[in-house]
This record gives sequence, structure tokens and C-alpha cells, in this order.
Amino acid sequence: MSTEGEPMVGGPGAHVAEGGGPPMSLEIFEVFRQEKEGGPMVHGGSLLAPDGELAAHYARELYGRRQESVRLWVVKRSAIHDVTDPDLLQPPMDRSFKKPVGYSAGIKQKLAEARERAGGQE
Amino acid sequence: MSALTGATGTSAHGLDDATRDALAELLLCMADDEFVLGYWDSEWTGIAPLLEEDVAFSSLAQDEIGHAAALYELLAGLTGEPADRIAYGREVDGYRQAALLDHARGDWAFSIARRFLYDTADAVRLDALAGSSYAPLAGLVAKMRREERYHLAHMHAWMVRLACGGEEPARRLAAACERLWPDALAVLAPPAGERRLLDAGILTESFATCRQRWLGELAPLFEELRLPFPFRPAPGASSSRARPAGAPAVADAGQPGRLEPTFPEPGPEGRTRHNDDFRWLWGELTSVYRSEPGATW
Amino acid sequence: MNDPARLQAFNRHVASGGKVEPGDWMPEEYRRAVGKFVEMHANSELMGVLPEREWILRAPTLRRKLALTAKVQDEVGHAQLLYRVAEDLGKPREAMLADLLAGKTKFHNVFHYPTRSWADVGIIAWLVDAAAIVAQQALRESSYAPYARTMKKICWEESVHILHGRDVVLTLVNGTARQRALVQDALDRWWGPLMQMHGPPTDPAKDRDLAWRIKTKDNETLRQEFLNVYVPRIREIGLEIPDPELGKDPETGRWHYTEPDWRELYAVVTGHGPKSAERLAFRQLNYGETQWVRDTVLHEPRAAA
Repeated sequence: MSTEGEPMVGGPGAHVAEGGGPPMSLEIFEVFRQEKEGGPMVHGGSLLAPDGELAAHYARELYGRRQESVRLWVVKRSAIHDVTDPDLLQPPMDRSFKKPVGYSAGIKQKLAEARERAGGQE
Repeated sequence: MSALTGATGTSAHGLDDATRDALAELLLCMADDEFVLGYWDSEWTGIAPLLEEDVAFSSLAQDEIGHAAALYELLAGLTGEPADRIAYGREVDGYRQAALLDHARGDWAFSIARRFLYDTADAVRLDALAGSSYAPLAGLVAKMRREERYHLAHMHAWMVRLACGGEEPARRLAAACERLWPDALAVLAPPAGERRLLDAGILTESFATCRQRWLGELAPLFEELRLPFPFRPAPGASSSRARPAGAPAVADAGQPGRLEPTFPEPGPEGRTRHNDDFRWLWGELTSVYRSEPGATW
Repeated sequence: MNDPARLQAFNRHVASGGKVEPGDWMPEEYRRAVGKFVEMHANSELMGVLPEREWILRAPTLRRKLALTAKVQDEVGHAQLLYRVAEDLGKPREAMLADLLAGKTKFHNVFHYPTRSWADVGIIAWLVDAAAIVAQQALRESSYAPYARTMKKICWEESVHILHGRDVVLTLVNGTARQRALVQDALDRWWGPLMQMHGPPTDPAKDRDLAWRIKTKDNETLRQEFLNVYVPRIREIGLEIPDPELGKDPETGRWHYTEPDWRELYAVVTGHGPKSAERLAFRQLNYGETQWVRDTVLHEPRAAA
């Protein structure tokens, strides 16, 4: 987990090479959009803007001018914590006890046994 | 040929001829305002100062053309002449946009200032039509206002950003306002048929009242942003608080004083006499249409 | 430094369809190759605005005016999306624009040619965009994930452009004799640049962009795809394609055609096209005239003193 304000290794702020990135007070904003009411917010892309007000206008233009979104979230990239550590997200130890796949094969076999026993007692 | 001569459209909603003509003239003025503004502003497409702003500004221009198209359609319903022919088929002197819209887009400050003056005046005009007894117009106005809200917010943001952005942007913006104010008054100049429109309830507020409301709303902003505001309280208008010499005139809050311009008022030529900028634009925008009259494109 | 084992793992990863995100480790050459590829694409979208821009002013109906303004707006939007992707790889947008205006970086050939009539607008929107979309659809599978995602959005938006273009062409073709002649004339002038657009056939084994799956289809494949769909569509409405050698081999299914002038292509993309200098100069002029606005937004607004 990153500490507040510090980009993680490989995080959104870190990969911009030396000398790259927008000048001074133009900031990068990420835009998330909702396609249909009740749907998830999905990342659409990013834009440059001097402040949040213009960022909202631009977000609407780039991700909503065709009425293709019902909602937008416009977020400064610097406010986003980028979590990518595979040890955190894809840890190596068995976790099948937490997932349906951990039960389906066993249940199938045991159910067959139980049905057979019940059928034999008739 | 004006869209109004030889009108054969049936009298919709029980309008008598004179009222219908007054309404048609109003619609033509509004449609031409939006049409010409949309054309100038769409010229920024591809060459605006910032890519993101380019896309945003282009939408504003398209909205105006869309509003113009809807207004021309309304007019077509009254006069029987097809919307595209009204939009593209007139000679240059047949257009009725306000002088404010005759200017080419100029630099970024000029375009922002002109749009801001237009959008704020148009907002007040739309307010006076929102409750129109002519239902198709009231319906269209309701839709347009929802889009215009964003135009206003966007232009306001730029007015502030330029006025407070340093010496050069402030200077350019002030120069633009100075140049545009005289022509801006033409937007809310009362049309000849205003009395009939008020009597029929098509218009719910006179243009003179609209103008005062418009100026009263802009005065505090222009003062705060230190932009030219060439108006003073009309003689006899109540304005009891003495103001320091050199301070801009403001309609006193709580004591609505009429504001009048410190320059000559535009007359009807504010909508009938067009400058070289517009003559050039007309030549361009009608060129393909005129290359094969009657053809379908 | 490029660790050979890590490099090999990377190459295997992208060759088998694996994706690369901005924060992932990538070889310097890959970063440069993607950056250059996306930058040229962004430049092309931005320069692509200019041929059609003039006609925004002259569109002959309200609906065409709206459609064309929206189309050009989309191209600016695409430029924005692509410059953002390229910028996140390390080159600032201002630097990319400066290089473009200085003639140091390239943009696609078709945007170096003049437009002469309203019919050009239809032909460009229909056929040039169609040729472009054949390439762009393949790029949706690019190994560089931000670029792939952007291409999906772009392809979705471009599909409307092709419909608009086809509608314009059909309207003209169904119109007066003079309108039909305008379209045929436009097609005659645009066919050459169209055939050059995908570039000369390259040896896939030597194409690094292909190996890394920055792009996923080679030039000739794209050109064949384009011809296969669009030659019948052009001919069925009575237009003649100005290449007597153009035809499809019934056995192989491959199109044969007069070899495009690759020297012309090279001259054009290196800045010697009929409109290259003028359009770059136009851009330079506008960029210069609006510099004061960019300088303004680089400062925090102060309250009026």
C-alpha cells in the first residue's frame, strides 16, 4: 500500500520518464464513466486540465458528448493509489477454500456416493 | 428574398397574420444569431489553444447550429419554406443576426468575450420566452436552456481565467469587450413586432426589461473583473449612494436603476446592415449550396 | 539495463498476446517504438483535421454542417487521446507538437493532399476513413494496453464517420450529373494516396513493431482487407476505380493492382506533399497565435488585485 501522496513503484505517477509529463499547473485527470444506470464505473481515459471545473467540462466532451455516459467521475491521477503487487493480488498459497472451485469436484463425488447409498436402501 | 414574403403556411395555433409575421421575424433573428455564432465558433475546431478545449468549444458551436436548425424548422412550420433554404438560400442582406455576431472570431479572448456577451443576453431572452403561449417555441426553449447552462458556465470560467490570468490576457479581454459592447446591445434590441408578441403572450417580458436585467446581472461581474462596462444610471433613475469618481456605474441592488449606454444605441441596422466579415462568411457558407441550386446534398 | 533473460521473457510475453501497462517493466526499445508509433498516429489525427476543416465552413445543409463539425471534432478528440497515451510514455505533449510543427516527425500520407470540392469530403470520410479503420481495428489487439483500449474507443467513434461519408457519396451519386462527376473526379484523385496509405509490403520477419505486437497485422494484409470490402462497394454504385490492373484472383482471393508509387509516398511523408508545407505553416501560425492562452493556463488565476 502506498503512503499518502507517494506514488507506488510502477504507480501512475512513477512511470513518466525524467522531463516528461504536463507543464506546471496542467494536471492529469482520470475519467471513469457509467454506461447505464446502476452499472459499474469503468475507466475511460485521461485528460489534461488546469483545474477541476474545466476538467469536468472536458470529461463530458471526451466521454459523454454522444450521450454515451450517464455518469462521470473525474479524479486527479495523483489521488489514485495504483495497487499492482502480484504478491498482494495473486498470492501463491492455496485459497480454494474461499472459492466455488474448491468445492465443486468434491461435492459432485460425494453426492454420487450419497445418492447411491440412498438408492440401495429402498 | 426574405423568408416572410409570400408566406403560405397555415396560421398555426390561431395566430393572425400580423402576429404570425412578428413571430416569424423573431424566430429568424434568433435562428440567425445562433447560426452565425455557430459558424464563427466552429472555426476554432482543430486550432484551439488546448486539445481538450478544442473538443469542448466545438461542441458549443455544434449546439448553436443545432439550436439554429431547430429554430429554422419552427420557422419552416410557420412559413412553409424548407429550413435549409431559409438557412442557406438568402442573399447576404436577408440575414438578421445581431451586429455582435458579425465579427470574425478574432483571437481567443475575442471569441470568449463575444460568446459570453451573447450567451448571457440570450439567456435573458430565453427567460422571456420560456412561458410563451406559442407551445412549440416554449418546448424548444426549455431544451435549449438546459444546454445553454453549460455554455454559460464554461464561458464564465474562461472570462475569469483570462481576466485574472495576467497582464496580457486581461488586456486582450478588455480590448475585446471595449470593441464588442456597442454591437452587443443589438441582441436585445426590441423587434418591430414586439407589441403584438407581448399582447399574444408569445413574449412574456419586453426586450427593454430583458436588457436591464442582463446589464444588472453583468455589472457586478465586470466590476469584479475590472472589465469595461460603458453604462451609467439613466437620468432620473434612483441611485442614492454616491460613488467615488471613476468607479464603474452599477445598477443599485435593491433600488433597480435603469442603465443606459455611454455610446450611441444601435437602431434597426443592428440586425439589417452587415459588415465585411459577415459578407465573407456568407460567401463561404453558401458557396456549395449556390453551386447547384435545388440539388440535394 | 536490459537483462537478456528479462528481455526474452518480455518478448515471449508480448508475442503470445500478453499486455503491457504503463507501470510495467519494458525494454527501452519497446518504450521508444510504442512512443514513436503512437506519436505518429496522434500527429496524423491532428493533421487529418486540416483537409476537412475548410469544408466545415462550406457544408451545404444544416445536417451536413453538424455532421462534419462533429467528425472533425472527433479527430481532435482522437489526437487528444493518443497524445495522452504517448505522453505517459515519457515525451511531453508540447515537445511532440513542437517536433510535428518543425517537420521532425511524420504523419500519414493522405493528409498531405488538397481537397478540391465537397465530393472530396465524402470520399475522404468514406474511403480514407475506411482504410484507416482497417488498420485501427487490428490495433485494438496491440500489446501496449493503453493504446489498445484507446483504439477501441476510436474505432467505435470512427464507425459513424464512415456512415456519414457513404451517405454523402450516395447522395451525390444519386444527384445531378455534375454532382456525379464531382465524385468520380474526387475518387480519381484520391485512389493513388489510398493505395499507398497502408505502406509498402514489408517482411514480417524484419518488422519489429509486428514482432512486439505493437501492431498486429502487416501492411499488405491491411490493404487486401480494405480492397476486399470496398472495391465491390465502390463499383456497385457506378463509380470507376482508376486502375485498369485492379482485380481479384478468383483462385487465391488476392487482389492484384498497379504497383503504387512508393517514391511518392516517401516524398510525401517526409514533408514534400502538395500541401505539407502549407498545412504545417498553418498549424505553426495558429500554435504561435494561441501561445499566450497556454501561458495563461500555466498560472494559477489570481483574484483581480
